[in-house]
Amino acid sequence: MSEFLDLFQGLISGFGIAFSPVNILFALIGALLGTMVGVLPGLGPAATISLLLPISFKIGSPVTSIIMMAGIFYGAMYGGSTTSILVNIPGEAASVVTCIDGYQMALKGRAGPALGIAAIGSFIAGTIGVIGLTFVAPPLAEFALKFGPPEYFALTLFGLLMATLIGEGSILKGLIMVVLGLLLGAVGLDPISGAIRFTWGLFMLQEGIDFVTLAMGMFGIGEILINLEKKLSTELVSRKITNVFPTLKDWADSKWPIMRGSFIGFIIGILPGGGAVISSLVSYAVEKKLSKTPEQFGKGAIQGVAGPESANNSAASASFIPLLTLGIPGNAAIAMIFAALLIQGVQPGPFLITERPDLFWGVVASMYIGNVMLLILNLPLVGMWVQLLRVPYAILAPIIVLFCCIGVYSIRNTVFDIYVMGVFGVIGYLFRKVDLQPGPLILAFVLGRIMEPALRQSLLMSAGSPWIFFQRPISGTLMTFLILFILFQIVRMAWKSRRNKGGDI
Amino acid sequence: MLLFICGMTIYGSINLSMGSLHRPGPGFFPFLLAIVLALFSLALIFQNWAKDKVPLPFWERHSWLRPLLGLVILTAYAILVNSLGFLISTFLFLLIWMAGIERLNWKTIIMVSIATTVVLYLIFNLLLDVPLPKGILAK
Repeated sequence: MSEFLDLFQGLISGFGIAFSPVNILFALIGALLGTMVGVLPGLGPAATISLLLPISFKIGSPVTSIIMMAGIFYGAMYGGSTTSILVNIPGEAASVVTCIDGYQMALKGRAGPALGIAAIGSFIAGTIGVIGLTFVAPPLAEFALKFGPPEYFALTLFGLLMATLIGEGSILKGLIMVVLGLLLGAVGLDPISGAIRFTWGLFMLQEGIDFVTLAMGMFGIGEILINLEKKLSTELVSRKITNVFPTLKDWADSKWPIMRGSFIGFIIGILPGGGAVISSLVSYAVEKKLSKTPEQFGKGAIQGVAGPESANNSAASASFIPLLTLGIPGNAAIAMIFAALLIQGVQPGPFLITERPDLFWGVVASMYIGNVMLLILNLPLVGMWVQLLRVPYAILAPIIVLFCCIGVYSIRNTVFDIYVMGVFGVIGYLFRKVDLQPGPLILAFVLGRIMEPALRQSLLMSAGSPWIFFQRPISGTLMTFLILFILFQIVRMAWKSRRNKGGDI
Repeated sequence: MLLFICGMTIYGSINLSMGSLHRPGPGFFPFLLAIVLALFSLALIFQNWAKDKVPLPFWERHSWLRPLLGLVILTAYAILVNSLGFLISTFLFLLIWMAGIERLNWKTIIMVSIATTVVLYLIFNLLLDVPLPKGILAK
């Protein structure tokens, strides 16, 4: 009971922090920016947060800047649906499935209710996600205090493998990106012995590759370059959105998909490697399976909008759990926030809640407020965002590139970093050309700095025996689960290829 | 169907340099990674080989032209920003980007260029206190 009271007290103090004028302002800025990048195709929340990393410590206290970045992340989940529904282009990766039925609804003149249910579903799910975060995070952090190096190694390994196994695209390519990211993370000073590694004699590389420069190049510049190629044109949206409020029947149809979506999103969001994108795909599949009229899916079923849009929001909130309790980011956008915390001198991990209760509770409380703001921004004011879709990408692209340049420049006030960013931009562009996703690479880059010391310390503890990872109960469980999961995947792939071969004959 | 050939050469070269850089102690983790990477790369090469696909030309003429232009402008910006100063070079950057790559009409280009330069200057220099290069305007 006293633990419950502690939670309550923490939350109340958090609201005190979140309701200060500065924090309200930055929560609003985050929500606005988030919705904006959500609406705009070709610019995701991870890229946006990376743009803000260099200036994050100039914004103010860690609490304020994290409140804003969190707002961008879950705000993008709201905004993404708008573009999916109106233009049939996902404004943001987690809204890919919303295109299917959302756009069909818009074609039938029901764009309003589709937008409405997406916003309402997002609000309900977002709030459920934050409630879950409130109650799950503190006990989990306490549990995580028992973790030693072997547990951390097992967790990071687990997170990275999950990110590639359930992520988008080819598993093999995802794994390659993970290893490349880990290698890039190893450049610079060795965390244990202080030896200099892989600098090829370049003095600038001794401090390691700067995360911000890497992230901005890979995500910011890389994304712009690939979009330049596509000649992305946002067709004018001329349809008028009249009534955004769903009918009673719409509501009855969407009630359960929203609840299920919230639940699915929450579970997938907590998992290391999970995230908003996957949760929305899972939710869509579940709704289609459970529906009595699966043939309606793809022809404008409101469930196909309500479920996934809810799932991605609650996943976004839930993915803060591993970050704030274990110090392990689960996806690229959260990895950016992880980096922001480090830049501000805050070490994310199990001690965060006890050492910086203001930060934890302030950010959590701001998420409750942010969701209310976003509901208002996306329901009555949705027309404003539709206007934004009329700004041509041609104008946005150079502005984003400039933003990257100034941002990178401002870290150390050297032009050299702009070149480095340019190089990463080209690499990011080439990766995208050959269908390699930079997300796992960024995640691995961040996790590598936790993983390597954990691995080597564990081996020191066990005098070189790798069995230490299996002998300790928590890491043992994780490793066993991991091995089972890999076996399951192999069996599934073998099964698939056998079936495919059978089909060819 | 997929354009893997290029990616594979990239991996091949990375493998070679990584493997030979192994040092005991601090090199343990990277060495482990290099081995894993080599295995995955071989698997990818094998996978593509087994699929027996005809690789499409990686570069289509028109597709790389615009990104390349963008990069050239970006590099020119990085070279010139210190001598010309932030205001002039940012204005030129926007002007050339929108005129050269996007071919918008001149009125929009000039208006957007001026407005963006001013807004960026206000945000970064005055609000966030980033010392932007002043260049020739300082004299």
